[in-house]
Amino acid sequence: MRNYVYSVLWEVRVITSVTSLLLASNSSTLSESSSHKISIGDEDRSIQSSRVLGLNDSSPKQPSKNMHSNSIKEISNTHVVMAAGQAANSGSSNLSLYNTPSPVASQQSGIAPPPLCRNGFFNAVSCDGSSKPAANAAILAPRRKAMEEGRLRKVSGRLFSDSGPRRSTRLSGEATAGINSNASQAGGGTGTNHSSSSRFLGGFSSSSSKTSSAAFRTMTGRKGPSCISESFDEGRKTEVFGDSCGEDASATMSSVAIFVDCRYLEEDKINLHAGGLSVHDSKLINGIRELLGLLRTLGEGYRFSCMHRSQEALEVYQKLSQNQYNTGWVLSQVGKAHFEMVDYFEAARFFDLSRRVSPYSLEGMDIYSTILYHLKEEMKLSYLAQELISIDRLAPQAWCAMGNCYSLQKDHETALKNFQRAVHLDSRFAYAHTLSGHEYVALEDFENGIKCYQRALQVDERHYNSWYGLGVIYLRQEKFQFAEHHFRRAFFINPRSSVLMCYLGMSLHSLRRNEEALEMIEKAILADPKNPLPLYQKANILLSLERYDEALMNLDQLKECAPQETSVYAMMGKIYKKLNMHEKAMFYFGLALDLKPPATDVAIIKSAMEKLYLPDEMGDSL
Amino acid sequence: MATESEGEEDAATAAGKLTGIPQLSVEDDLREMANKAAWSVSSCKPGNGVLSLRDDNLDTYWQSDGAQPHLVNIQFQKKVKLQLLVLYVDFKLDESYTPSKISIRAGDGFHNLKEIKTVELVKPVGWVHISLSGTDPRETFIHTFMLQLAVLSNHLNGRDTHIRQIKVYGPRPNPVPRQPFHFTSPEFITYSCLR
Repeated sequence: MRNYVYSVLWEVRVITSVTSLLLASNSSTLSESSSHKISIGDEDRSIQSSRVLGLNDSSPKQPSKNMHSNSIKEISNTHVVMAAGQAANSGSSNLSLYNTPSPVASQQSGIAPPPLCRNGFFNAVSCDGSSKPAANAAILAPRRKAMEEGRLRKVSGRLFSDSGPRRSTRLSGEATAGINSNASQAGGGTGTNHSSSSRFLGGFSSSSSKTSSAAFRTMTGRKGPSCISESFDEGRKTEVFGDSCGEDASATMSSVAIFVDCRYLEEDKINLHAGGLSVHDSKLINGIRELLGLLRTLGEGYRFSCMHRSQEALEVYQKLSQNQYNTGWVLSQVGKAHFEMVDYFEAARFFDLSRRVSPYSLEGMDIYSTILYHLKEEMKLSYLAQELISIDRLAPQAWCAMGNCYSLQKDHETALKNFQRAVHLDSRFAYAHTLSGHEYVALEDFENGIKCYQRALQVDERHYNSWYGLGVIYLRQEKFQFAEHHFRRAFFINPRSSVLMCYLGMSLHSLRRNEEALEMIEKAILADPKNPLPLYQKANILLSLERYDEALMNLDQLKECAPQETSVYAMMGKIYKKLNMHEKAMFYFGLALDLKPPATDVAIIKSAMEKLYLPDEMGDSL
Repeated sequence: MATESEGEEDAATAAGKLTGIPQLSVEDDLREMANKAAWSVSSCKPGNGVLSLRDDNLDTYWQSDGAQPHLVNIQFQKKVKLQLLVLYVDFKLDESYTPSKISIRAGDGFHNLKEIKTVELVKPVGWVHISLSGTDPRETFIHTFMLQLAVLSNHLNGRDTHIRQIKVYGPRPNPVPRQPFHFTSPEFITYSCLR
């Protein structure tokens, strides 16, 4: 539920920055402060870069018609939107590079999606641009770095002349900020944008805000403003708001965003009296409408992915234009959706793209490391972990990646230490709790494992990985009823995962509810034809039901798609043994042994082979 | 000198006698089991107690203080499968304190221990791997509540003994619960669990 709120805040943030941009590009007679010049310059850069990426990339996209229906200028504006978000995004994560020794901003949690929203959060809570100098300085640092990349020549002269004194203000700001620097910098980071936007808005509010705010008003929808403003006042406890909104948060989500925007507009109207701009109202309204459409699409996609309806989320993201699609955030969201559908190859591809677009974004990198873990990409994983640590060694995502790396090398103690470190850095980061739980289970410390999973669920009740982890523990402890319950919870949260279906089927099978189990397994087979596990489990169930021929048919199929799999051959041998076809049984047991199974299986298979001609006895041992 | 000792070692391994190896090398599908076991010894010198056997420090050692045989008892909370026992001894440092004949016993408790293996060490330096599996494939693992290691005699007729580390290994459990066999192919393992 928190997710929704965060996305709302994120939208708010984007809207404010975007509106400022719209105005900035439309107006020519602005009396700007130098900080504005800088910010515009930077956004220019990101426009360029996003375009370049859009051209270079070749992933499938369906550019939506209405996006391009307007004038070119406005399209470029919408590009600016995401690019600006992008810039701020990478900016805030860059930030820590410069401040590494002290605990500073950009401790994003996985539940709190883009770094933007954290900023937006601060923005919403303390919406004044009072900490402006510090803010400029904080943002300046990454920007300077970006400048050095030499992408942008237009404004560079102006920028560099400015950067000297600002750097000193940054340093002094840092010195005074002390421990509170986390909050003040994050708040400050948005402070710039907010204050700049308010100035722009102030300019335009005199002429056109009435119409547009009226338009906004109509869209504010059924949720009363009171409820929303309350929830903002509650600060960190915004889950309450999320819960009260329930499942249909999407409608309110956009309305909240708009409402807040309106509030800004009104404030600006009162506070600022900056003077006359000649803005074409209609153009502006079109731009805003287009922008809101874009945000709506993004929000919708994000909502679906929060509800783990990954397929729908993917379809929504497909509607985005090429340029929007190829932003780090969208790509990582697409990767995440694929991850939840257990399509690790696709997921890895998208996360890879996302990393190329915004290499300093930590959002979703914990998931990426898990994907690499599943794919057993040791090299890529350790590289990723090292890089993330060097980007921000105080981010939980980085330590999760490191832990995954150790876990893949079967060094579960060290992995556990790393995950615990992630937990210490951000105890609201549910995934770190879950991963610690997995490590405890690998170390066979089920008691602590259960505690970790439960802590994860306290943070985020919809974290299905934890429900799954609990299910696995109970399945191992032969508490099948509990196992079934927990798998079912996980399955309700993420109904697209064929692995979850498979485990649910396994627990049902253990409960001897074989019909239900078969039904569930069939579902899993249909859900993901690439996953061989449900087919294997089906054969297992059929074997226990003594429907040997059907089981063999399934195993034959499996043999084709995973010819290296010992367990398939071992099970075939077992079935032929039951059918008293000794030669075939011996043949398949031999094949299984040739593939070098672990010592436990070798022992089982060898003793089965020895006992092949002794009737009945092996039924129990195998 | 070097060639002489090498020749000695070769002869020793050929005769089924064990010398040590400098690196601890254990197969990937085994894991250390005795973290949660209760460890006790028949006797010890103060300061060189049972903890020295498990501190992962090769400079400290357990030293017995009494009559032979010297015993190390490892009692597990539940019945476990064990495959390998590894101990670190150093003839160069400990000389007459180095064990030469070791018996390994297993059972449900002190009352019904049965000897499963006797090994002889010849001037061992380093990790000595003692496999617990028998010849029959069904006896790859021993299934037991308790393991006892008895030092029957030392080198050069020494009385008390030094052992620097003991580790006990058993097979890793199947990561996927309730399966008859382990999954081995990447296709299966990728999908075999969530995280």
